[in-house]
Amino acid sequence: MVDPAPIRTDAVVVENRSEGGTNRRLRLQVDGWCGFGPGQFVMLSPGSRADVARSDPLLPRPMAVYRAAPAGAGAVVEILYKVSGRGTGLLADVLPGQRVALVGPLGRSFDLPESGERAILVAGGTGIASVYELAARARVNTEVSVLLGARSSDDLMGVEDFESLGVDLRLATEDGSAGERGLVTALLEAELAEDGTARVYACGPTPMMRRCAEISAERGRPCVVSLENNMACGFGVCLGCAAPLSTGGYALVCRDGPMFAAEHVAWEGLP
Amino acid sequence: MSASQAPDTRVDLAGIPLRNPVLTASGTFGYGSEFAPFLDLRRIGGFVAKSLTLKPRFGNPPPRISEAPSGMLNAISLENVGVDAFIDEKLPMIPDGVTVIASLFETEIAGYAAVAERLSESPRIAGLEVNASCPHVKSGGIEFGQNPKVLAELVRSVRRAASGPLLVKLSPNVTDIGEMARVCEAEGADGISLINAVQGLEVDPETRRPVLSNVLGGLSGPAIRPIALRMVWQASRAVTLPICGIGGIVTAADAIKFLLCGATAVQVGTANYLNPAVAGEIVDGIEDYLKRHGIERISDLVGALEIPPDRRS
Repeated sequence: MVDPAPIRTDAVVVENRSEGGTNRRLRLQVDGWCGFGPGQFVMLSPGSRADVARSDPLLPRPMAVYRAAPAGAGAVVEILYKVSGRGTGLLADVLPGQRVALVGPLGRSFDLPESGERAILVAGGTGIASVYELAARARVNTEVSVLLGARSSDDLMGVEDFESLGVDLRLATEDGSAGERGLVTALLEAELAEDGTARVYACGPTPMMRRCAEISAERGRPCVVSLENNMACGFGVCLGCAAPLSTGGYALVCRDGPMFAAEHVAWEGLP
Repeated sequence: MSASQAPDTRVDLAGIPLRNPVLTASGTFGYGSEFAPFLDLRRIGGFVAKSLTLKPRFGNPPPRISEAPSGMLNAISLENVGVDAFIDEKLPMIPDGVTVIASLFETEIAGYAAVAERLSESPRIAGLEVNASCPHVKSGGIEFGQNPKVLAELVRSVRRAASGPLLVKLSPNVTDIGEMARVCEAEGADGISLINAVQGLEVDPETRRPVLSNVLGGLSGPAIRPIALRMVWQASRAVTLPICGIGGIVTAADAIKFLLCGATAVQVGTANYLNPAVAGEIVDGIEDYLKRHGIERISDLVGALEIPPDRRS
């Protein structure tokens, strides 16, 4: 499938609400939106008043597209994010009706599992936002298990949405406040020990993805990871988001990814 | 001028005719086609492509960028596809009617001349811009543009190798920009572009380490605009060469400030990352400004900064 061409527009905030802890859900009316592939992202300029040239903080923030539904002259695009710094703090202050500059969708989308193949989606932290659409589309043709991890139940995002998809859902929290106590990678180990035929998709903190890659490799299973990195543009120009490759050289997370076959990533060279 | 008549935005930059003075800066605009989804490249004056070397180059390890107050630091290390791949693969993707200026650099003067010669063979390239902000290996890593003798040798050598219009992009990391501008003029450059990024450093106090893998980076964005305006103004008083003003331009008003300080044209840089359509919006804004002020020709603005008589030094 060819990913749709990106657009640059001023999106209108429909909703921007807390989902407990630092988690927030942003819903944007994006006119001209032509769809997106699972795992693609948008660049959002933090702060309101998209029409005013704002210089500080200067750079837009990459955010996974959680899901989108046709509406008006485009779609309502949903973003799940955590307030973690100045940019996301400003984004949290934006009110319904205000505008946010948006560029996207960007990056290459996940290749869906083949029909009949089992998919295990492992996600932690804000990485959870990158795999919802993959789960929603993959479940049509394949058996899907979603393993979500976080420090505590407050940090988990979108759990009810995954529940309503009807996929096999397991949770792990480090403090045991939801699901199993421990790391989400332990759930993956158990899953692959039971059934060694699955394709693994991982998105989350680098150590989590690296561990998923190791576990998958030990079982001989393919693993796709969705990398994060600082980026200024999101469309292959600033060259800021370089990720080192196991074959030498660099790939750009925004243009060549964010999805990579786990064996292509030189994990030790990631910041 | 009648109300319906559009103002004349054409300028001649160092022998390169431009439909308007808004270019985009090397290193912030890829090889042009990356912006096709967002911007009609024929709307702007033209673009300066990413700096090219003889052979393809990989960049630095991450982290390569860091946010800074009203700006960003980068240390990409001039990753590029190499001059041959640019001519064979990138240039053909650019639509007719788009003015392309090629930027070049190397770590030795002979290398610069070789790249310039190769680029001069392409009729699709309207002019060259020599990136003089790269470390000169023989000078122990000091930038070519930081030493007037090295800069003179560089410009002389590239001038001999290049057949078309030649711009030299100057480093701001110098004490006297006027001296560097005069060197370019004396050695036969057709114009100068300034400023390149300002050398900077960002530190993580928790880890006690530099944020960038390269330790030092180039500061760009609105943070450097007043420095750039000052240097363009100083250079314009030192030489008669046309100047292309660069540094933190985000709006049409920013671009006009550079014209007033003596720039014939401008380049939009870091702002392309924030808004890939911004260069076209700046062209629109300049046309509005000209109409609003009843200015028929944009060239009338160049160097039109008015300093009250009692403030002149």
